[in-house]
Amino acid sequence: MIGEGIHSANQRRHSYVQDRVEVGFFTDPSVCIGCKACEVACKEWNQVPDDGFTWTGNSYDNTGHLGASTWRHVMFLEQDRQKGNQIAGTMSLGDGEDPFRWVFLSDVCKHCEEAGCLEACPTGSIVRTETGTVLVQDDVCNGCGYCVVSCPFGVIDRRPKPLPESGGAFKCTFCYDRQKSGLVPACAKVCPTESIVFGRLDDLRAQGQKRTQQLREAGYTDAQLYDPTDTSVRGIHAFFLILGEPEAYGLPPRPQIPTIHLKAAWTAAFATAIGAIVVTLCAFAFL
Amino acid sequence: MPNTARKMRALPGEPMSGESRLDELREEARAKGVVPGRGVDVVGGPIPRKPGYYGEPVVKPPVWTWEIPLYFFFGGIGGMSAVIAFGAILFHHVDLARAAMWIAVIAGAVVSPILLIMDLGRPHLFLNMLRVFKHRSPMSMGAWILTAFGTCAVPGLIALELHAHQIFPGTFDQLLRLVAGIFIFGAAIFGTLLATYTGVLIGATAIPAWFLHRTLLPIHFGTAGLGSAAAALELLGHRIASLNAIGLFAAAVETLLLIWLSVNKHGAADRAIHEHRSGWLIRIGEILNGPLALVLRLVGLIPLAAISFLVGALVSRFGWIAVGKVSGCDPEAVFASQK
Amino acid sequence: MAEAHPVGFRWVMKAKERGATIIHVDPRFSRTSALADIWVPIRAGGDIAFLGGIIRHVIENNLFFRDYVMHFTNASCILREDFRDTDEGATGFFSGWNEKQRAYDKESWLYEGHPDLSFPERDLTLQHPRCVFQQLRRHYSRYTPEMVEKVCGIPPALFHKVADALARASGPDKTAAICYALGWTQHSKGVQIIRTASILQLLLGNIGRPGGGILALRGHASIQGSTDIPTLYDILPGYLVMPKGDGTEETLQQHLEKNTKPTGLWHNYPDYFVSILKAYYGKSATAENDFGYNWVPKLTGNHSFFEYLYDMADGKMEGMFMMGQNPAVAGANSRFQRTSLAKLKWLVVRDMVEIEGATFWCDSPEIKRGELKAEEIETEVFFFPAAGHAEKEGAFTQTQRMLQWRQKAVDPPGDSRSEGWFMHQLALRLIAKAKQSSDPLDEPLRALDWWYPEDELGEPYMESVLAEINGWYTNPQPGADGVVFGGIDREGNPHHGPQVEGFAKLKADGSTACGGWIYSGVLGPDKINKANTRSSKNYLGHGWGFVWPADRRIIYNRASATPTGEPWSEAKKLVWWDQGQRKWTGIDVPDFVPDKSPEYRPTGNESGLAGIPGDAPFILHEDGLGWLHVAKGLNDGPFPTHYEPLESPVHNALYSRDTNPVVNWFTRAENRFAPPGDPRFPFVLTTYRLTEHHTAGGMSRFLSHLAELQPELFAEMSPELARELKIENGDYISVISLRGGIEARALVSRRMRPMQLNGKTVHQIAMPFHFGSAGPIEGDSTNDLIPISGEPNVTIMEAKVCGVNIVPGRLPRGPAFEEWIKKYVPTGGPPNLHPEQPPPGAPGGEQAGGHGQHGKTDQQ
Ligand SMILES: Nc1nc2c(c(=O)[nH]1)N[C@H]1C(S)=C(S)[C@@H](COP(=O)(O)OP(=O)(O)OC[C@H]3O[C@@H](n4cnc5c(=O)[nH]c(N)nc54)[C@H](O)[C@@H]3O)O[C@H]1N2
Ligand SMILES: Nc1nc2c(c(=O)[nH]1)N[C@H]1C(S)=C(S)[C@@H](COP(=O)(O)OP(=O)(O)OC[C@H]3O[C@@H](n4cnc5c(=O)[nH]c(N)nc54)[C@H](O)[C@@H]3O)O[C@H]1N2
Ligand code: SF4
Ligand code: SF4
Ligand code: SF4
Ligand code: SF4
Ligand code: SF4
Ligand SMILES: [Mo]
Repeated sequence: MIGEGIHSANQRRHSYVQDRVEVGFFTDPSVCIGCKACEVACKEWNQVPDDGFTWTGNSYDNTGHLGASTWRHVMFLEQDRQKGNQIAGTMSLGDGEDPFRWVFLSDVCKHCEEAGCLEACPTGSIVRTETGTVLVQDDVCNGCGYCVVSCPFGVIDRRPKPLPESGGAFKCTFCYDRQKSGLVPACAKVCPTESIVFGRLDDLRAQGQKRTQQLREAGYTDAQLYDPTDTSVRGIHAFFLILGEPEAYGLPPRPQIPTIHLKAAWTAAFATAIGAIVVTLCAFAFL
Repeated sequence: MPNTARKMRALPGEPMSGESRLDELREEARAKGVVPGRGVDVVGGPIPRKPGYYGEPVVKPPVWTWEIPLYFFFGGIGGMSAVIAFGAILFHHVDLARAAMWIAVIAGAVVSPILLIMDLGRPHLFLNMLRVFKHRSPMSMGAWILTAFGTCAVPGLIALELHAHQIFPGTFDQLLRLVAGIFIFGAAIFGTLLATYTGVLIGATAIPAWFLHRTLLPIHFGTAGLGSAAAALELLGHRIASLNAIGLFAAAVETLLLIWLSVNKHGAADRAIHEHRSGWLIRIGEILNGPLALVLRLVGLIPLAAISFLVGALVSRFGWIAVGKVSGCDPEAVFASQK
Repeated sequence: MAEAHPVGFRWVMKAKERGATIIHVDPRFSRTSALADIWVPIRAGGDIAFLGGIIRHVIENNLFFRDYVMHFTNASCILREDFRDTDEGATGFFSGWNEKQRAYDKESWLYEGHPDLSFPERDLTLQHPRCVFQQLRRHYSRYTPEMVEKVCGIPPALFHKVADALARASGPDKTAAICYALGWTQHSKGVQIIRTASILQLLLGNIGRPGGGILALRGHASIQGSTDIPTLYDILPGYLVMPKGDGTEETLQQHLEKNTKPTGLWHNYPDYFVSILKAYYGKSATAENDFGYNWVPKLTGNHSFFEYLYDMADGKMEGMFMMGQNPAVAGANSRFQRTSLAKLKWLVVRDMVEIEGATFWCDSPEIKRGELKAEEIETEVFFFPAAGHAEKEGAFTQTQRMLQWRQKAVDPPGDSRSEGWFMHQLALRLIAKAKQSSDPLDEPLRALDWWYPEDELGEPYMESVLAEINGWYTNPQPGADGVVFGGIDREGNPHHGPQVEGFAKLKADGSTACGGWIYSGVLGPDKINKANTRSSKNYLGHGWGFVWPADRRIIYNRASATPTGEPWSEAKKLVWWDQGQRKWTGIDVPDFVPDKSPEYRPTGNESGLAGIPGDAPFILHEDGLGWLHVAKGLNDGPFPTHYEPLESPVHNALYSRDTNPVVNWFTRAENRFAPPGDPRFPFVLTTYRLTEHHTAGGMSRFLSHLAELQPELFAEMSPELARELKIENGDYISVISLRGGIEARALVSRRMRPMQLNGKTVHQIAMPFHFGSAGPIEGDSTNDLIPISGEPNVTIMEAKVCGVNIVPGRLPRGPAFEEWIKKYVPTGGPPNLHPEQPPPGAPGGEQAGGHGQHGKTDQQ
């Protein structure tokens, strides 16, 4: 659904922050060309430092995973499956024997409806913005690192020394600064094929459904939306269309927000607390 | 049509073409599980691929370093010492109460905060912890519990010491004793929480091996704290039956927990507890403060039992953080935990 | 295309969304293949055989666009009796081959009885045994699907899928486009590969029509601009021919006679040529002095960069300006390039970063290996900081021939200055010096008309250059309408008159000056810089930028209407003949004489455009026809013929001749070629670009945010090859050719696949060429492996194929390297190891230089 120039959602100049509607990203690997422009634009706009020049040998992916200094991450999957009705050379003619496909997907902070990082943050550094996105206020974060283990998607991380602003937790800001002044998030703005679509969440969800349907009809039998609305995360603002299983993209199949464990844990804690007092008093009372 | 690719390779005498050789290798891989000799890790290649996305972690492992397990350890001792102090003061073991309160203050109100601050990425912003009160964030609750504990324990100790040295005359001294009692009671209440919330802290996270044992963790940490407090006091020379009883109880519970851990397994999801270095730390820790401490107490080797328990409690704290790191880096654990 | 032109690829994806079928032909499964409907793995260098096969398929199965072919192409033209095709005896030679000169005498390629190609005889039934169509059919008759499989490794089933898809997408109400770039150009037969595509597109009626065409995806941002207003040695702006110094073009008269065509647009050659002389020399250029023709340098041979390089190596060249290039990494045989640079006395480098071209004397592998010693290198390097494209204004010309003006975004840092400033200031100083001397050699400098106004920093106004390129009436009229920059020169003297409206107004009498006739109209009397307009009125983008010639968005668009002038179909209407107004109209600016009716037929005595019939769209050609057979303008044959790459694992399955006979081998000890099927170099290496880097890396390797995305040189290879060589993904390997050896990581992937050639399994590996010794990330430069060679028409090197061997493990560094490489690449012996390779200094190649006029082929 590549829009015509300024008519495409990604190029429109409009601030959703003012009209306080929920926004999101719909990322569609079926048109992603793996150019990594989103990664670079993100780092350039947000002045995120480079984090190492290591060659991984994992296809064309030398970024690895999302983290404190990687807020966009383009994945490169080489799979022995067919991509729609694509004919990938001699090997997938006819009945598609021995097929092959190369899938690119640009990963990012999911901006969860129920955000583990936000709930966990003891300083209130992580907040929900007017547009429903999740933002870390760098000047408040004291680097306790609790959000790191509370993100069901392994997104947010604490930036190690000697990188600039080290010690604090970082992740995608959804370009809150750009959005306030009516600019589209940098990654979506530069995406040449509109694999990343930015817009109103409800529009995007509809578009996502439509696109998945389209692809299914076009032979992409394993196309599905990744948007865990049925788990305690209750849906994500940056959702994805994926080909195949979430596991292959390093996405948790049924992500849960850690706060669901609080009840059991606190109960055990209080029980132990009371138990400890009772036992101690008895020990002194009867011996 | 589908087999043109095949046909063109089937030339007799010619070296078998790439793709069909690859098929062969796949067969071999399927049969033997793995192909002998060197191979390549690519889709369709003979060697099975890494799980998930090139084996990359799905959730992030904790960034915490040695300060945190130590903090858990001292928080446990400090918190539970206050409980013992409270019991002691109720039943007139003033000296024991003093010793316990000293431990409570040093371990719980001095060392613990220092360790906690040291671990922060930005220590100078520590006070931001008290910007908000979030009951849904164990870290926030912990910060408040620690603060509350300090605010009770310190005055409690001062009052107790003034009372013990009989600085003030008669009635005022009675008052002091009451005040001490109240503060120490507070310290005891927050102390138990200080010793147990750490279990909640790591239990309510996205790390499979942790959240799968969210109920065990607070019990373990609390008990370990209580036992350690008793053990520490005993090593300071306070050999009384009550402490021994507490020690016995703690060791017994830890033994039960050890059994629970080895019964309640979750396969790949919590394998970090049973495999790797992390697994060994857990096992050693649990044996030291569980069965071994128990046996030593029963045969009356109190000091050894105390030492064994303390070391065990310390080791298992490091163990659980190690478990978090291993489990957090293990994509299959995450997938398994969500099956 | 997704890799190297990602933003343009947006529209390919849009087309796919609309139901277009995307076919990608490439040895590697690239990011483009990942998005294509059909990926066709091809053996590098096999494209003529592949396309030839489709041509045969289209002809034999009658799938071609008969009306289009019959009327608009030269299919119907009759060839001479003495013309012999490569096919006869499958020799691989056309008639006219001169073994001693290693060149063709092209006489026999001409039309029967019409040596100047005007008013040819035609047989519209296409039945005449000697008509181009029948000859074409015979030429490709042996390019069968089975043969395609033998040569390219593409099985018939896949071949047919492509052929059918292409044919299905062509016709009166459909068109198909072909995009190409280096995969086709960087071959010993690059021009002919593109020719094969043109034949195919002409047969399918896909030229001059919306959605059709052959699109050269260009290189550096304005590489199209740098062939239009060239940085090439053999042409002048607007594809005018560089005068030759061989004695045949002593006078302007001789030059014009030689290059003026009797019919077609090139009949106006004198108008364009004299106007450019007037632009160069202004008042000094008069009818008396041949408008300064003698001041123009003359060609004395092939003056391509490689020839210069050899002169450097032989110490025949003292100094060089390196502006916006980095041959130490990107030049073929870069090892030899670096050692040759080290022989210069002085070298001026203008760049934004300290590239290998400026640091070779201290950090090149040769220095590290002790082959060269820094203290022994005499080259004095002058490094000038250059302003980047965002730091200066100017125009880019892109693939569609569209000029787009570029504003300056920021001031260049420190002392960095633009090319404009450097050239302008250099010229001013040289001219000043020349004015002091009386040496006749300095006459051309003294005669130069250097009028450009400048700003306070001494930066010339770029629009003043654009104005000169557009052209003006030379009679000075300061202040008159349509006069730009006041019509005065630097001294304030009257200088020029009003701007010309377009190239139609140019005259050979000195009354007009024009710096590049094809761009004429971009800054006309209305004084509007059309390159800077940004409001498109229709889907062709009229109103956005300026497309040469005369803002015609689709060239040869007369072909979008039937011979009688109606659109071929509603879906594909573009321009058509309006009977009422008796003129051509439509969505695009007609690329045709506006009032020439479709019925118009010349008598045979006309000249210029009047000699072109009303149903002949290709007005640049003498006969107005699309050329299936190229009688003039190419050095290696009128029909594209499959030759093997200069280094190939197999012999030519189609002809007894393996390689392109006219190719320039640049034979030299440092530049040896392995014979066909050499067991020492069994694997085919092809080179390519990564989206993450730019060419030699000056603009990417030095930027951390790009460098971290592709931090190391790697070689892509198939799992099969990896297993054969006991290599695991990520292992270090050494890659060796007759030119040198480099180190890389193995990237094992099924995106590379073994080829079956005639039952023989051929492995291809692919490597990017972006890496070098300078900057934050280091890596060997792939070009150490690539030989220098010269395609016969435009002297491009065969950078896309060569033979290599792979040795698992790391490359020995330092002096150890020499010993090690000797094991695999014995030195000594004759420099010409390939049986078809001539000894050093043998003739051949010097006639290359075909950019002018017909040979407008994309090259770097
Ligand atoms: N990101 C990026 N973009 C660039 C550049 C860059 O360096 N980086 N460079 C710019 C420049 S200067 C240029 S000239 C263009 C070049 O643009 P391209 O020509 O697209 O770039 P290449 O990757 O060199 O070659 C294209 C493809 O040709 C394939 N190929 C190799 N041999 C053959 C063959 O024999 N037949 C066929 N059919 N294909 C073959 C290669 O595998 C490669 O995938 O890109 C421009 N754009
Ligand atoms: N093996 C192999 N070799 C190849 C190719 C291949 O496909 N395979 N491709 C060939 C092709 S198509 C090309 S175009 C060449 C490219 O080869 P080169 O042109 O030699 O390499 P670049 O890195 O493009 O050089 C451009 C330099 O200009 C600098 N620069 C950028 N802007 C400006 C400016 O405004 N002013 C000045 N003065 N400098 C500027 C950049 O920093 C950079 O260092 O490589 C060729 N080499
Ligand atoms: S994905 Fe993780 S970091 Fe992003 S909002 Fe959800 S919980 Fe927070
Ligand atoms: S690291 Fe910063 S953002 Fe994360 S939880 Fe702690 S204070 Fe909040
Ligand atoms: S929204 Fe902004 S911060 Fe988030 S990934 Fe995109 S560019 Fe980066
Ligand atoms: S910019 Fe768009 S196309 Fe490019 S990698 Fe990112 S998501 Fe994919
Ligand atoms: S670099 Fe410029 S020219 Fe190249 S793809 Fe990007 S936008 Fe287009
Ligand atoms: Mo290029």
